[in-house]
Amino acid sequence: MKNILTIAQFTVREALSRKIVIAFFAISTFVILLFTGIFAFVPFEDLTGMIRMQNKEVINISKEIVKMFKLFVIAPLFGGGLFLAIFSASGFIPNMLEKGNIDLLLSKPISRSQIILGKFLGGVLIVLANIAYLIISIWLLIGVKFGIWNIDFLSSILTITFAFATLYALIILIGILTQSSVLSMMISYLIFFIFSPLLSARENVAMFTDSKLTKYILEFLYYIVPQTSELGSIAKDLALGQRVISFQPLLVSTLFIILILYLSIIIFDKKDY
Amino acid sequence: MYAIEITNLTKIYKTRALNKGEIKALENVTLNIEKGTIFGLLGPNGAGKTTLVKVLLGIVSATSGSAKLLGENVKNYLVRKNVGYLPENHKFPNYLTGEDVLMYYAKLSGYEISKKSKEIEEYLQLVKMGKWRKTKIKKYSKGMMQRLGLAQAMIHNPEIIFLDEPTDGVDPIGRKEIRDILIELKNKGKTIFINSHLLSEVELVSDKVGMLNEGKLIKLGTVEELTTSKEIFEINISETLPDLVVKELKTKYTFQINNLKISLENANTDKVNKFMDELRKLGVTITSFNQKKESLEDMFIKSLTETKN
Repeated sequence: MKNILTIAQFTVREALSRKIVIAFFAISTFVILLFTGIFAFVPFEDLTGMIRMQNKEVINISKEIVKMFKLFVIAPLFGGGLFLAIFSASGFIPNMLEKGNIDLLLSKPISRSQIILGKFLGGVLIVLANIAYLIISIWLLIGVKFGIWNIDFLSSILTITFAFATLYALIILIGILTQSSVLSMMISYLIFFIFSPLLSARENVAMFTDSKLTKYILEFLYYIVPQTSELGSIAKDLALGQRVISFQPLLVSTLFIILILYLSIIIFDKKDY
Repeated sequence: MYAIEITNLTKIYKTRALNKGEIKALENVTLNIEKGTIFGLLGPNGAGKTTLVKVLLGIVSATSGSAKLLGENVKNYLVRKNVGYLPENHKFPNYLTGEDVLMYYAKLSGYEISKKSKEIEEYLQLVKMGKWRKTKIKKYSKGMMQRLGLAQAMIHNPEIIFLDEPTDGVDPIGRKEIRDILIELKNKGKTIFINSHLLSEVELVSDKVGMLNEGKLIKLGTVEELTTSKEIFEINISETLPDLVVKELKTKYTFQINNLKISLENANTDKVNKFMDELRKLGVTITSFNQKKESLEDMFIKSLTETKN
């Protein structure tokens, strides 16, 4: 465990040496300051109260405002935040595998599985810290301003980090196989922005075809490709205090992470450097 | 117990080419290195020197045979706790400072130290890098990186230290300092394994030398054994010897003649005296005479030529 923590510690250090992580922190700080400014200068107290709709549904205005603010944070954080996180993490493995660097690392009394797990833990920790910094700050600001202390909002920290962990496991595997940060990044973006949303809407896609085989393929792909789109929906539902329809994507993604990391370790273990 | 035991070690690399060729990087290498000695491994480029070290350090897996460090199979990664390594063209993360590098690699070796630990100061001073400890290593020169690399290999006080081209990029004064460090380490009972192209460097510090060519260990012995077995006597004469005389002398002695220089090989003092007497009898004037000891470099080149032939 000590070895894993040492590798993780220096992965965090490596991440911090990159401008992209600093940019992530800077953007988060900007958003926090923006919210602080809005909460300080906009008189939301005047907007509080209830609206009774025609269908007799009662809407709490301040709660709706809070929901809007939460959505304003979660949606860009899931898309933009993970975009930056993938960008910064895609180089961890190829950099480690550079000649002269990997020789030194492998000559130390550390097993190859510990190296992979350390790299994984370090990458996940830095993203967790970034996301936690932003969400906890916003949660505090909303709590102080509106007196709404919704703990579920905080759970989106874990959901978004978990979505990153799923993609990061894949980044590690591709990094070990190809030693290419560009390829790791491209495949991750492809899954995150195209395949996962497409497979999430596979039932709509399947309407355009009668082929049963296509439907089976889509269904099969849905369960093997990281379900980041669904994880995004879970993060959003949790943040807004809505009921999560299914936690199945969490289970599938956990299995995906375990399998991909196991595969990475086996391949890394067999390679000569 | 030896510090390093290698038995019939073979490493075959499978190439990815369509013909699925194989490269035999090491072929049945057997070698034992005693504790507290400096061993120099020589060989031309591509001889398999780095592969041998990498197999010993678990960076590359052997195809067959076995290797042990301090009595433990090299497949057990924990044995590397007692091993230091300076690879050729090593790369440290460039966002670290000199002291960070030592702290990081010591930690990875299972040796817990902090930036304030006396070991960091001690080893940086030893390699003359004390004043650069807080400078980011991206600003270091090649020689400075090499010195830091050496400190990194020693920081956790290992029993065996592998050095791949340790004086690469280091100026002559630096080389002398590194040699002194190696001798000091040896005196402390450490075992040092050096891979180097600089034969004169290896000759100056090594107790034992091995020579690898095309994956095979073709020579093994002390520097003395490998260089003094064939002593060469050089005799310079004042005029060219007639062909008939050369022919006559060659029936009794083994020598090479190059204009006015005669090189006698495998001759003892008696034989040389007799040879010179015969020259004098023939009226040849001897202008100078010297006993040339074969250097490691001579042995190296000769061995390679012999293997090729």
